[in-house]
Order: sequence, then C-alpha cells, then structure tokens
Amino acid sequence: MSKIKAENVNVYYGSKQALFDVSIDIAEKEVTALIGPSGCGKSTFLRCLNRMNDVIDICRVEGSIKMDNLELNSRKLDVVRLRENVGMVFQKPNPFPKTIYENVAYGPTIHGIAQSKEEMDQIVETSLKKAALWNEVKDRLDEIGTGLSGGQQQRLCIARAISVSPEVILMDEPCSALDPIATAQIEELIDDLKKEVTIVIVTHSMSQAARVSQKTGFFHLGKLIEFGSTDKIFKNPDKQQTQDYITGRFG
Amino acid sequence: MNNFKKNFLKKRYNAERRFQWYGKIAIGLALTFLAVFMFQIFSKGYSAFQKTWIVTEVHYDKELLLIDAESPSKDDLENADYYDVAYKAMTSLDPGLPEEEDRQLIQMVSYKYETEVKDLLLKNPDFLGKIVPIKLTASDDIDQVHKGNYPRDIPEKNRRVNDYQLQIYDMLNERGDILSEFNISFFTNPDSREAELAGIASSFMGTVFSILVCLAFSFPVAVLAAIYLEEFAPKNKFTDFIEVNINNLAAVPSIVFGLLGLGILLAVFNLPRSTPLVGGITLSLMTLPTIIIAARASLKAVPPSIREAALAMGASNMQTTMHHTVPLSMPGTLSGTIIGLAQALGETAPLILIGMVAFVNTIPGTPVDPAASLPVQIYIWSESAERGFVEKVSACIMVLLAFLILMNLAAQIVRHKFEKKWS
Repeated sequence: MSKIKAENVNVYYGSKQALFDVSIDIAEKEVTALIGPSGCGKSTFLRCLNRMNDVIDICRVEGSIKMDNLELNSRKLDVVRLRENVGMVFQKPNPFPKTIYENVAYGPTIHGIAQSKEEMDQIVETSLKKAALWNEVKDRLDEIGTGLSGGQQQRLCIARAISVSPEVILMDEPCSALDPIATAQIEELIDDLKKEVTIVIVTHSMSQAARVSQKTGFFHLGKLIEFGSTDKIFKNPDKQQTQDYITGRFG
Repeated sequence: MNNFKKNFLKKRYNAERRFQWYGKIAIGLALTFLAVFMFQIFSKGYSAFQKTWIVTEVHYDKELLLIDAESPSKDDLENADYYDVAYKAMTSLDPGLPEEEDRQLIQMVSYKYETEVKDLLLKNPDFLGKIVPIKLTASDDIDQVHKGNYPRDIPEKNRRVNDYQLQIYDMLNERGDILSEFNISFFTNPDSREAELAGIASSFMGTVFSILVCLAFSFPVAVLAAIYLEEFAPKNKFTDFIEVNINNLAAVPSIVFGLLGLGILLAVFNLPRSTPLVGGITLSLMTLPTIIIAARASLKAVPPSIREAALAMGASNMQTTMHHTVPLSMPGTLSGTIIGLAQALGETAPLILIGMVAFVNTIPGTPVDPAASLPVQIYIWSESAERGFVEKVSACIMVLLAFLILMNLAAQIVRHKFEKKWS
C-alpha cells in the first residue's frame, strides 16, 4: 500500500533547479532506498517529505506530495504535526548537548505525549530499547548524550526520532560517519523498525541499499532515473545508466 | 642535497627562529609595560590603606561640656558642647604653647576631631568626668609626614607642616602616640575635601548601582534584539541596514552617549541629575551594541545540526531557539556582556556629562541618589592639589582594578558552569 505519493516534484534553489519532475510511490512499512551520486538531489527529495527545506530561504518546492491523502506541499499544512509523524535521522549524529534521557524525552515533551513522569520513563525506555541502546545506557541516562561513541549517538538519534511514534522515518545517510560494526547495528535496527514504520533511506553505499531496502530509486542530476524493487534494480535494471552506476562504472 | 638547497633550508629555519624572537620580544615589552604600570600604582597607592592616628588624652569635664544634669541622658550628651573639651585635648599636648599659636596644634588633626571626641563619649557614657586616651585622625599633612612622603629638607615657608609641628610630631612618635592602622574609613567614608577623611564609599556604591542599572537595561534588550535578528528576522536590505548601524553604534565615542544622556534623559525625561540611574542608562547605550554583537556571534556559532535536530523533532522556531540555540549561545553572550560591562565600568566621559562628577559627600542608598563613580572619583582626586590625594588616586585605581578582576572571575565561573551543563 502506498504511504507517500509524490507527483511531478520540482525543487529550485534560487534559479537553480535541483529536482526535475520526480514521481515516486513509497510503500507503507517497507524500506525505500534512494541512491545516486553526490549532488543528485536524493537528500533534497528526502527533505521535501518533512518540509525541512522550509529552513532554506531560497528553496522552492513545486508539485504534489501526498501522505495518506494529506498534501504535504501546501502552505496550510501544520509543519509541527507533520514532523511529529515524520521523524528524521541525519548524516552526522546530532544529539542535543543534554542528557540521554532529555534527548529522548524532548519530542514527547514538546508534543505533550506523556501525561506523567512514569509514562515518560516508559517512553524513554521503550524508545531506547527499540533503538538497541537501552542495555548500554540504562545506568547512565543522566549523562550527556554527546559523550557517547558515534554509533551510540546515531542510535540515540534514532531513539529520539521514534520516541514520538512516527509513521515515517527519513534517514539521510545515517551510517556514513560510522564504522562497519556500528553500521551493521543500525542496519539491523532498520530491519526491525520496518515492521512498524515506513522508512526512506538515502545512502551512498550500494551494498547497504541492497541489504536493507525492498524498493530502490536511482537519482541522477536531479532526475529519478529508475525506481523499482531492490532486487530488480540491482540484478536487472531497465536503464543503462542505472546499470553503470551500480556496477561502479561512474559515480 | 646540493648547496643551494641546503642554504635555502637554513634560511627558512632562520626566518622562523627570527619570527619567534619577534614574538617573544613583543610579549616581553607588553609585560614590562604592565609591570611598570602595576609597580607605579602599588608603590604609590599602598600607603593609602594605612591611616595615621594621633593619641592624646581627653578630659570629659562636665563643666566644659555644659552638662548640668546629675545623670545626663543620651540627649544631654548629644547636645553637649564639645568644643572646649576637644580643644583642650589637643592643646594639652604642649601646655607651654601661647594661646595665639594654638592653631598649629589643632591643624595636626582632621577638622572633624571634635566629632571624634563626641562619638567616643556617646559610645562610652561612663567616660563622663574621666580622663581617657583618645585616637584622633591625623591631618593629611601629618599623615604624609608619618608615611615618609613629605620631604623635611625644603625651607619652612614652603612647607605645609612647620618646624614646630614637626617637633611635636617627633615627640609624639617617640612616645609611641602616633598610630598607623588599616584605613577602614577609606572604604566607609564618602568623598571629602580633606584627604585624610576622603573615602570611596559613595563612588563605589555609585559604580555598583550604575553597573546594575546598565545590566538591567542592556542585557535583556540586547539579547532579545540579537535573538530576533539572528533567528527570526528575514534577511533583507533592511536587516542589513540595522546590522551596519549596530556595528556603527559600537564605534561611537562614549562622550557622544554622554551628550545623548544629557539631552534626552535629563532634559526631556527630567530624570534626577548625577544619579546612577541616569549613568547606568547612558552606559547601557554603550554596552548595548557590544552585547548584541557578541550574542549574535555566539548564536551563529551554534551548529546548524542542533537546529535541524530540533526542527525535525517538530519543535517550532521559538522552541528550537529557546530550548537549544539560546542556552548553547549563553557562554558567549555572557562573556560579551562582561566585556561590555567592564568597558562601562571604566567609562568616565559620559558620566561627567550627566553630572556624576559632582562632589558627593553622602553614600547613595538607591540608584536615584546622587553619586560619583570610581573612575570619576579617580579623575576628581587627580585634580586635587593636596599630597594626600596622590596616594588615594592610586588606591582608587587599585580598587577599580580589583573590581574588574572580580567581575571577570565571576564571568569565568558563570561561563564554566554553563559550558559544563551544555556540552
């Protein structure tokens, strides 16, 4: 079933066009990987899905992006509510310079999700458990989140993102700053999370896309060249360009 | 390696060594200047923390005090006539002196000696009718003689202390009746025309009140302005224009702000003249741009990834700013504030224009009482001719420097606390 349906999305940074007529169907409770060389627009597209492009003054988005029939690219949209439903994990782990507990509790606090301290403790524990971090930090929840290792920080960011029980999680190269062991942990986590959440992940690692995703989209120079099941894209792509990129002939 | 290359390498190393030496010389020069400056101030000023007393005997004679009552009440003692008693206490130092020469003895103590005689009895009513020893504040000339700051070898007619007074001084000194004690009154007395009585209490309180008023006005305004400009305002020509003007404001000479204070605060709003309230507001005009610039710089220095993290969690702009950006920028903002206040602390020109240069011999209790400030006090005293004020100027500078050091220390501690909390 389709969760997010983008139709003819064009994005401009000032006078420079970054995305050209991108149309894509993102299925519910699946992992969709977006691959492509640097500067191809995959991150730009990802940021359209939770309106993070709003932060950039000169950025302009055209076209239609619907999530469960709700138009995301509309001035009337309540961005705060949208971002409660669409979490994001960034390339560089960016926990708040606050305690581990406060990091996870921040979302539920500002959205008024927990009624009591006990409920909040419960949310923090569940989120950290889902992010496979609980066992490592349960005795030091009041330590500063930025003091953790890179992999732990990224899992903390994932715990923070899932603390508000979003329907969609966007991941912008979540493993590019991590070592292989931490990467493996995050990938395992993604596999677990997709039972409950729809995940869109931007990655530079072809093998990662092949491992974690069910659908893959290949971007090049702002255009979605090919989109289909991961199996098909990696084994038998329709387009020569995709074939070249995947086999490492360019990019 | 051929010769050319060897020489080339040698040249490079030499150049580096030379450069390091230039740096060392520069630091050495700076330290020398600082040392000379400090030595100058301390060697001149330390003696101001010593006060000279002359010990004599006073007879609280009921007749001379004009007290009739058998057991006089507090009021009786308050209203008694101490002139003769005090006069006798001094003239008894040399009973052989003809009456018309008495002034020479009286001039050896401060003009307030009569009050001192009175205060001792008010504190100890049972001294009435008795002969008791009393400490009287020495005049600034005797004070300077005792501290060795007064040359004795110049001709008598050019001296403020004549031979007779020196003789009495030597006699008292031999008897051990000249005391040197820590000068508490320097800190507790307001300004005075007499060097031996002048203290920094009024200017110190004036400075404290001015700085507090300055902080109360400039900090909230500056921080709000910085937050709005940095986090909320659209980036366009108009905000650029504002930014340029804030930077210009920071470069305006302080005396101009003094004129503004005079023209607006005093002339239009009729605020009380010579008060720390007006002084503080005038100074806050000066510190405002400094704090705005520092606060904006430290807001800019907060990594954008933190903002993105908060926004992606669904925080509004306001929540992102208040929960994350502002707390993270606080250490920088605070140190900017301290720098601004430290500038304000040493500022003299604008305060002179709004009348804080007036001679104030009361200690201000509120920001709307007339007061001087420490730097203005230094300026006032440095214009006084009496030798006793020379050491006071240096001592006042020392107090001002100590104040500055304390403020910086407080800033460091506050910074440290915030930084520990946020990273």
